[in-house]
Amino acid sequence: MLKKVGVVAVFAALVSVVVATTAWGSATPRALAAATASVKCGKKVTIGVAYPETGPAATLGAPQWDWANFARKTWNKSHKLKLAFVRGDTQLAGNNPQAVQVAHAFASNGKILAVTGPAGSQEMEDTASVWVGAGIGPVSGSETRVALTRGSQGTPRETTPGYFFRTVPNDGQQGDNVATFIHKVLKKTNVRIIDDEEAYSQGLSAQVKTDLQAAGVTVTTDHISQQNPDYNSVIAAIPHNTQLVYIPWQVPAMAQQFFTQLRANGDKQIVMGSDGTDDPSTFKGAGSYVSGFPADTKSGGFAAFKKSHGGNPEMFGLPTYTSVMVNATAIQAACKAGHGKTTRTAVRKHVAKVKLSKAASLLGFPVAFLKANHGKFQGPGDLGGASAFGIFKIAKNGTYQRVG
Amino acid sequence: MHHLLLFNIIDQIRSLGWSGAFELLRNGVVIGSLYALIALGYTMVYGILKLLNFAHGDIYMVGAFIGYGVLTAFGGALSPTIPIVPLIILMFAVSMAGSGFLGVAIERVAYRPLRNAPRIAPLISALGVAFFLESSVQLLTNSAHFLYDGYQLGGKNGNFGPLLNPVFTVDRIPVNIVQTLVVLTAIALMAALVWLVYRTKFGKAMRAVAFDREAASMMGIDTDRVISMTFFIGSVLAGAAGVMYGLYLGDTYFFLGFLFGLKAFTAAVVGGIGSIPGAMLGGILIGVIEAFSTGYVGGQWSELVVFGILIGFLIVRPTGLLGSHAIQKV
Repeated sequence: MLKKVGVVAVFAALVSVVVATTAWGSATPRALAAATASVKCGKKVTIGVAYPETGPAATLGAPQWDWANFARKTWNKSHKLKLAFVRGDTQLAGNNPQAVQVAHAFASNGKILAVTGPAGSQEMEDTASVWVGAGIGPVSGSETRVALTRGSQGTPRETTPGYFFRTVPNDGQQGDNVATFIHKVLKKTNVRIIDDEEAYSQGLSAQVKTDLQAAGVTVTTDHISQQNPDYNSVIAAIPHNTQLVYIPWQVPAMAQQFFTQLRANGDKQIVMGSDGTDDPSTFKGAGSYVSGFPADTKSGGFAAFKKSHGGNPEMFGLPTYTSVMVNATAIQAACKAGHGKTTRTAVRKHVAKVKLSKAASLLGFPVAFLKANHGKFQGPGDLGGASAFGIFKIAKNGTYQRVG
Repeated sequence: MHHLLLFNIIDQIRSLGWSGAFELLRNGVVIGSLYALIALGYTMVYGILKLLNFAHGDIYMVGAFIGYGVLTAFGGALSPTIPIVPLIILMFAVSMAGSGFLGVAIERVAYRPLRNAPRIAPLISALGVAFFLESSVQLLTNSAHFLYDGYQLGGKNGNFGPLLNPVFTVDRIPVNIVQTLVVLTAIALMAALVWLVYRTKFGKAMRAVAFDREAASMMGIDTDRVISMTFFIGSVLAGAAGVMYGLYLGDTYFFLGFLFGLKAFTAAVVGGIGSIPGAMLGGILIGVIEAFSTGYVGGQWSELVVFGILIGFLIVRPTGLLGSHAIQKV
C-alpha cells in the first residue's frame, strides 16, 4: 500500500514539476503558433491590457485602465480600424504568478496582436520569456526598473531587446534628476528616504540614495508598508537634522496624508514625492516637490480626460494612454504593410519604429523608442528624446509649478 | 549584522530621547485603541459562536466609508455646513448604526445557515464575505482613496482646525484633541460594553449562550436574537473605530480593513480571544509594540514584530494574556 502511495507521490511530483516549469517560464505550443499566425485586420483589432484590476494595488490599476479606455475611445473616434481590449488582472503586489497566468492567456489568444502593460517591473521580469515565445513586445506605462532595458556591471538586461518597450522614463533618469535637484538646487545635505516596501519604491530609493551619497549628502532610510496609513511613528523616528524627506510612493493620497501627519506633528521638513505621487488633485502639500513626466496638461485630450473623470487627471495612468496609442499606431502600420493582414512579429517590429507627435502622446514630448544604449541609464525600448522627468513645486493653492 | 542592528537600535533610542519615547507611546496607545475596538468584535463573536469572523475588518472599512459619506454630505471637512461637534456625533451615529446593521445582515445571510455545519464552513464563509465586501467597495469606488481631511475640520482656508489643538503636553510632545478623542471614545465604548455584558440581563444571556448555547436555548433564551445582537454590537464598535480612524488617519479605501483587521485579530489573540478586557489590553499592547518597533528598529520591522508576536502567543500561550482554558466535557 505504502509503495503504491510512494509511486503516486513521485508521479504527482514529476507532473507538478513539468507543469510548473512550462507554465512559469516559457511559451506554450499554442502561443508559439499564435506568434507567427497571420491575423486578418478587418475592422477591429485586439490589444491585451495587463494591469492590477483587483487586490491591494488596484488603486494603481484603476487610473491605468481609465486612461487605456480613454485612448481606445479617442482612437476609435478617428480611425476606421477600431480597437478592442482583452483585460488581464495581474494583481501586482508580490503576486507574480498571476501576471504569469495573464501572460500565458494573452500569448495563447490568437486575436491579441499587442500588449499594453504589465504594470510592475517584477512582473515583466517574470514574464519576459513568455512574451518572447509569443512574439509580443509589451509596451508598459509604469515599469521603471533600469535593468529592464539596460544592463550594467553584474546586472544583465532583464528583457530581450525588441521584446519590451515603455512609455515612462526609468528609475535611473528619475533618480538622477531628483538627486541632482536635491543637492544642487535645494542644496540639502541631510535627507531621509522612506520607501513603501514595493519594488518600484525600493528601486527608486536605491537609485536616489546612491546618487545623493555620491554627491556627499547624508542619507538615512526607513520603510513603511503601502498598506499602513499610520505614519506617526515613522515620522517620530526622522532624525532632527533632516532637511528633506523623499517618499517615492505610488499612491498620491498616501503622500498627502504623510505630509499632513508630518505637519500635524510640528515637523517642518520639505517633502518630495516621485512620479507615483504626481497628482495635483490629491497631493497638495504646499511647499512640497514632486518629480513627474512633463505631461501635456494644456492639450485638449488631457482636458477631456480630466473632465470625464470628475476633474481628477489620474496622472499615474497617463503613460498607459501613450502605450495604447503606440500599440494602435504599430498595428495600423503593420496591417497596412501586410495589405490587411499582419502577425504579432510584424506588429512588434512596427512598435520599435513608432513615432508619436507631442500632441498624440500627451506626454509633453514626441515619442520614439531608442534602438541603442543612450546616456548613463537608457537602452533599447526606452523613450528617447526629451523624456526626462521634470521637478514640480506645489504652490499654496495646490497647483504644480515646474522648477527643474 | 546582529550587532549592527543592536547598535542602530541603541543609537536610535539615544537619539530620540525621552520625548521621542513618549511620542511613540502616544502613537501606540492611540492606534492601539483602534485595534482594541476592532478586536472586541472578533472576541465577542468568537466568544459566542467560536467563529473567527474574518469579515470584521471589512465592516470597519465600510464604517470608515459611511463616516466619510456623512462628512461629504455635510460639505466635507474643508467647508462643513453644520458645526463640527454635531457633525462628528452624526458621523459616529450613522456609521455605528450602518455597520451594526451590516453585521446583523452578514450573520443572517452568511453564518446562520451554517450554524450546525462543521466549524470550517462558517470560517470559509467569513473569508468569502470579507472578499465580497472588499470587492464591492472596490467596484463602487473605482479603487480610489478618499481623504477625510479630519485635521482641517473646522479650520479656516484649509488650515488645521481645532482637532489638532493640544490637550496637554509632555516634554514638548503634544497630545491633541483628536488623539484624546480616539482614546477616550474607545475607553467609553469598552466600558459600556463591559457594563452591558456583566451588569445587564441581556449580558447574562450573552454569557449563557457563550457558555453553552444548547442549554441556554433550553432555558428559554432566544439564542438567535442574542447572536444577532452580538454581531450588531461588535459591528457598531467597528463602525465607531472606522470614524475614529478617518478623523485621525484619514486615508480611506477598499483594502483598509485587511491589515487593520489582521492586527486587531492579533490583538484579540494576544489578549485572549473571547475575553473583553483581553481585547482591550491586546489592542493597546500591539499598538505600543508596533509604534516602538517602527520608531526604534525601523518601519520594515513593525509587521514582522506584530505577527511574530501572534505566532509566539499561538505556540506558547494560545489562551492569550487574559484568556482561560475551556473545560471540555469528555
